[in-house]
Amino acid sequence: MNQHLFAQLIATITGVLLLTAILQIWGRSLVRSIGLLSVQGAALAALVLTVGLNAGEPQVWLVTGIVLLMKSVVLPAAMLRSAKLIGETRERPTTINPAVELIGAAGLTLIAYIVGVPLAGPDPDPARQALPVGFSLVLLGFWLLMIRRSAITQLVGFLVLDNGIATVSFLASGGLPLTVELGSSLDVLLVVLILGVLVVRMQRQQGHTDITELKELHD
Amino acid sequence: MAALLWLPLTVPLLLAAVGFAFRASYWTLLLPVISAVVLLLTGVSLIGTVVSSAPVVAIEGWLRVDALSAWMLAVVGAVAVVALWGGAPLRSKASTSIGSFAALLNLFLAAMSLALVADNVGLMWVAIELTTVTTAFLVASGDGEHALEAAWKYVVLGAVGVAIAFLGVALLSAAAMGHSEAGVSWTALMAQAATLDPTMVQLAGALAVLGFATKAGLAPMHSWLPDAHSQAPAPVSGLMSGVLLSVAFSVILRIQAITDAVVGPELMRTLLLTAGLLSLAVAAGLMLTQTDYKRLLAYSSIEHMGLLALGAAVGGELAIAAVLLHILGHGLIKSTMFVIAGRISAATGSHRIEDVHGLLRARPDLGAPFLLGTAGLLGFPPFVTFFTEVAIIVAGFTRGLGWQMAVACALLLVVFAGVTRQVLAMTLGAGTRAPGRLVWWRRVPVWLGLLSAMALSFALWPLSPVLIAAVTALGGAQ
Amino acid sequence: MIAAIVVTLVHLAFALAITPVLIGVMRTVRARLEGRVGGGVLQPWRDVIKLFAKEPLRAPGSSAVLIWAPLLLMASSLVLCALIPLVSTLSLPGAPGELFVVVSVLLLGTVALAMLGLESGTAFGGMGSSRHMMFTALVEPTVLLSIYALSLPAGTSTLTAIVRARRDDLSTLLNPVSILAIVALIVVVVAETGRLPVDNPSTHLELTMVHEAMILESGGRDLGWLEFGSWLRLTALLGLTVNLAVPWAIASDASATALVIGAAATALKLVVAAALMAAVEVFIAKLRLFRVPELLAGSFVLAFLSVSASYLVF
Repeated sequence: MNQHLFAQLIATITGVLLLTAILQIWGRSLVRSIGLLSVQGAALAALVLTVGLNAGEPQVWLVTGIVLLMKSVVLPAAMLRSAKLIGETRERPTTINPAVELIGAAGLTLIAYIVGVPLAGPDPDPARQALPVGFSLVLLGFWLLMIRRSAITQLVGFLVLDNGIATVSFLASGGLPLTVELGSSLDVLLVVLILGVLVVRMQRQQGHTDITELKELHD
Repeated sequence: MAALLWLPLTVPLLLAAVGFAFRASYWTLLLPVISAVVLLLTGVSLIGTVVSSAPVVAIEGWLRVDALSAWMLAVVGAVAVVALWGGAPLRSKASTSIGSFAALLNLFLAAMSLALVADNVGLMWVAIELTTVTTAFLVASGDGEHALEAAWKYVVLGAVGVAIAFLGVALLSAAAMGHSEAGVSWTALMAQAATLDPTMVQLAGALAVLGFATKAGLAPMHSWLPDAHSQAPAPVSGLMSGVLLSVAFSVILRIQAITDAVVGPELMRTLLLTAGLLSLAVAAGLMLTQTDYKRLLAYSSIEHMGLLALGAAVGGELAIAAVLLHILGHGLIKSTMFVIAGRISAATGSHRIEDVHGLLRARPDLGAPFLLGTAGLLGFPPFVTFFTEVAIIVAGFTRGLGWQMAVACALLLVVFAGVTRQVLAMTLGAGTRAPGRLVWWRRVPVWLGLLSAMALSFALWPLSPVLIAAVTALGGAQ
Repeated sequence: MIAAIVVTLVHLAFALAITPVLIGVMRTVRARLEGRVGGGVLQPWRDVIKLFAKEPLRAPGSSAVLIWAPLLLMASSLVLCALIPLVSTLSLPGAPGELFVVVSVLLLGTVALAMLGLESGTAFGGMGSSRHMMFTALVEPTVLLSIYALSLPAGTSTLTAIVRARRDDLSTLLNPVSILAIVALIVVVVAETGRLPVDNPSTHLELTMVHEAMILESGGRDLGWLEFGSWLRLTALLGLTVNLAVPWAIASDASATALVIGAAATALKLVVAAALMAAVEVFIAKLRLFRVPELLAGSFVLAFLSVSASYLVF
């Protein structure tokens, strides 16, 4: 692959990844947030394809297919189903000022850049150069987990985190062996399904899915 | 010998299928116990093999059993026998789908075995995540009214923690890029330690330890542990406290070995010392005022994981060998204690310490082992925990970690005060003889667990070559 | 020098000609999507011509601000159109095409509008002005930051030079810096030109008006200037954004063919952007006033991230 085109593609894809994550923190609608997750998954699949083609890996199409299917179709669909089952479409109002959430997100992205830049090394290739974007996705996923109250958004946060990790993994090393990729996709799917079941049970038991109300167990 | 390596993976899987097929039958509860026995026997025979000759390898190095994995397999088997045999629910309490419960327990055992025998770091990660997945519904199936809340916190924190660890794994594989073909294996990483990129390994090691420490219940990522371990059914609590934490911890030991080989021991020592002392402090503080005896046991697990972290931070043959032995001792005692705690709560219908009085008089079959087990957890001789704790502390002093060890001793004293007060309040005092005595075969595992934890103290000599081989498998542990 | 003057005149003529059409397109798209016929693409032209023919009515006791503010708004918008590379990247030598100058000219029009709202002496005018100034305070930093982020790769803060650099090096178009900055700019354009979801241009409901509240008391020729001036701002800002986002086919000299191609391309881009904007507006509701700062804070964060990304990564 042409190196210039490669750099351009990596830059574009990581730009989309970062933008979707910021938009997820910005917005309040669960449905839109899940939609953005699907876009993020597609961007991730594009990243896998780009990195794989550039490295000339034989199984690239297979891995791309798996990532696209899981991250862009199956997981968002499963979450949408949970959201529909419990009938929640909007985030519950938080006590945190939305501007603070966004400024926090900006700060975390900066931290990710500061951590990620030395990792890229002195003369980085385009993929390594984009590593900070992966780290910021991880931190933004964390941030979502911290600032949101609805159980569904917690799931979104977890998946953003997971997408960030996948981004780092593909950018840094071109991904792990196929078996491991398969296994980890399956694991994430199982976790999401289990949490989906728990969310539905929670809704049935308490009539809401506000995780800040989960405070019966404490010392 | 490679066939032996497959047993701990295939037998639980097969038995899980059987359990699921006959899920209405009570006898399916026997299946996980069989798996546990298989794990124990395979572990012991693998120890024999790997100590005398080379590690056992299968499918092109994806699976590999060295002395450490063999030892951990045996530990998992031994602890699982006690927890699953002793903790099996009464026939009257068993639900109609008891077989699914048994099947999940079997899957859980298979996931732990996979985590131990996987040489590929990615595969090991997948297995650790699978332990979260398989235990999620086990925790949620607890009879406590807050089991759902506990399960939610457990899965979210566990999954996030392990995801962070995956970041570490990905960076490790990036650091090893260009060195190995088929992914990253522990062996390959150890062999090429000198050529790995130090910056990358530094960050990878820190992230991986942070992630797996969540799973191992080390402070400050411990907050899920007391909830999950107190709400889960007794055998599940016993297994999770007794071995799941230690399996995650054994992964930390391997990461430590690699990081130490690349960037020197300071980074990991600092991280583990902080986590260890913090865990001890958190446990000590919250055990003093604890009102729930299952939570008391859960915090005791955090305390012991803290001790293990301190031992790993100290490093060296003595400390690491003590850590490995402590894993076994603590596992046996802790699973026994959770089994007894489950029976106490079945007898009294309460998890609150103030609702339990005069256990020694009322239910000597529960009170006596409970008191004895507490002594084991606090590290009284002749329990093996006494010797291992002393070994860790002494090793710490000799390696110049004086004040940290002094702080640890002080915190252990606080733990001692807290636990003694609570447990004495439960066991001593007036009580009327309560009806209900367990049949003999339900009492056997409890005494088996406690007595073998004592017997280990007198088996140090035959065990030492095994432990030393395991330490060597960790690269000699600087 | 002559070429530059020609280009500037072309810019002005282009802006004056296309602005009412642009508004007409937006209204028509919206009307069609809502199932109405609408007034046609040229309706805004007719409105403005009608307004210019009418005598303005001014309240007794009002000061000269009522006379000057509409003209100031119109003049500032025209300067804006002349400075921004709408059709060609050629700029007047000596004329400050700096990012900061452009933003101050933008602000001049905003202030004129706010003064006008206050001067009208009614409750609504003051309310509209205060809301407008609040939005401005939040919008200006974002404009500065996002264009600044785009200016870093070009190494200059002159808008024409930035657009030229982006046109010549297409690889900078889609990196994270660029994507984030453009999204931030779009939000800012929406807020600054009073479109949904920040302000509803077709409302006269007292609680939700912002722009309309300020010009409520004006009429006749004054209203004509005000409307045209505000529309020109839309053209200028939208034109800047589309030319930064897709800087294709912009002329770099004053030759007739280049200018015609440039004008046609920009017109096409503007119409498409305006139609998109109008189509999106159909599907969204106006935000509550207190949620607008949230939206603008978001765009500020995007702009901020894009600046930091341009320093740290790309």
